[in-house]
Amino acid sequence: MPHLKASYAKYQNDPTVAFLLVSIDEDAKRLQRYLNEMKFPFPVSRIDPAKAQELMRFDNTPSTFYVDRDGIVRYQLTGGEPHGDSPGRVAWFIDQLKK
Amino acid sequence: MRRGLLTTVGVVVTAAGLFAQVSGREQLARGKALWNQRLSKSAIAALEAAARDRETASEAHEALGRLYMFKGWQQENVFPGWHDEPGFRERALAELKSAVAADPSRASAQEALRIAEGFAAADAVEPAPPRPEIRALDAKIAGTSVPDLLAAVEERAKAQADPSPYFTGAQLLIDRGEYDRAIALAERGAVASDTFIDENLSAYQLTGKSQGSYARGRATAADLVGWARFLKKDYAGATAKLDEAARLSQDQDFVNQFHLGELARAQNAPARARDYYLSALSLAGGPPPLRQRATQALAALQPDQPNGFDAWLETELARRRDERRAAALKSLVDRPLPKLPLSTVDGRPFDTSGLRGKVLLLNFFASW
Repeated sequence: MPHLKASYAKYQNDPTVAFLLVSIDEDAKRLQRYLNEMKFPFPVSRIDPAKAQELMRFDNTPSTFYVDRDGIVRYQLTGGEPHGDSPGRVAWFIDQLKK
Repeated sequence: MRRGLLTTVGVVVTAAGLFAQVSGREQLARGKALWNQRLSKSAIAALEAAARDRETASEAHEALGRLYMFKGWQQENVFPGWHDEPGFRERALAELKSAVAADPSRASAQEALRIAEGFAAADAVEPAPPRPEIRALDAKIAGTSVPDLLAAVEERAKAQADPSPYFTGAQLLIDRGEYDRAIALAERGAVASDTFIDENLSAYQLTGKSQGSYARGRATAADLVGWARFLKKDYAGATAKLDEAARLSQDQDFVNQFHLGELARAQNAPARARDYYLSALSLAGGPPPLRQRATQALAALQPDQPNGFDAWLETELARRRDERRAAALKSLVDRPLPKLPLSTVDGRPFDTSGLRGKVLLLNFFASW
């Protein structure tokens, strides 16, 4: 997750890009502790895990989706695999959709 | 006594009517669910049954009509090897007309019929043939000397602004060992591709299609640049570009996967090389000589198999194709983001209106 904070630095003043974290935690206290520790600079929301899995069709966390300006999902990366995990990769996906 | 009998008869009739209605509804729901899974044969059978029930006729005919529209006009390349089935076009129109006839007030059926009639009308228009002067200029690109080749690319690019002369030229330069010139040409091709799509954006009609075309042009250029760098033995530079091409083509391009296999083999990473060769061979397309090279490279990497190499290869390829099919059905890529019932961390509804119209990174995580 720290890579998302690092990636966000490039876009924090860019009004055409948004980051949103969605937690599937059921234990709110545990989540709050985690967030206090991480201090994410972008919004964090919550969703029911079964609902998230049904709607977004992923079967592992973290799962990252890149959505274009028209609301179409363009890339989906599941798991903490190396391709999705560096600020350079995150920026690459976002920049594809900004063009 | 007489009254009692009448009541009984009445109850029986009602129950029979109810039974038929439930069964048509059930068939309709089943047919729609099957079609959502793209199980077309079973979906058609269920929907045809639902169409025979007066209660669900209109809705079932409409669902059939929409399914046939998809088969007739829209399924080209939805899965590798699929093509449009023109034979379904008339049937689509017929089903949608039946849907409107069964319930003239059914707006969605009227709408679908209007669209299908539009598709049919568009089919009647002859597409413009390739322009002979452009084909003549394309043929000139295979010119003998490098300066001739470069001049021919420029001339062709000036006549029509699509990126193909740059990509053809880059490939020919690679074949001649002119790697730096090839890289320069491929990079110009990437720019030309974006510009050409921007200029003709409305021709794509759907954002998904234009996005796909941007990605294809960029992927072609990235793969050419990466391959030229590989041949120059710049493996780090090759990795960056070939990986980029793989992301852009979503690992679906034979030539690119083959190139990644060659790169991994040159870097003494046999496990990775084997994966890329298998990935390449499980995809359709690619010139036969390259497919043969990939197979031979695999055979060399693969220690003796108890049932023989061919049997092993067939099993591996079948498994990969199955996995890809399952992933394609499941993935949300190229589909609209569903509306998500989000809440804030402290349990209030989460307002997503501020996200509209933005490029969005959406990350689902758990703190455990």
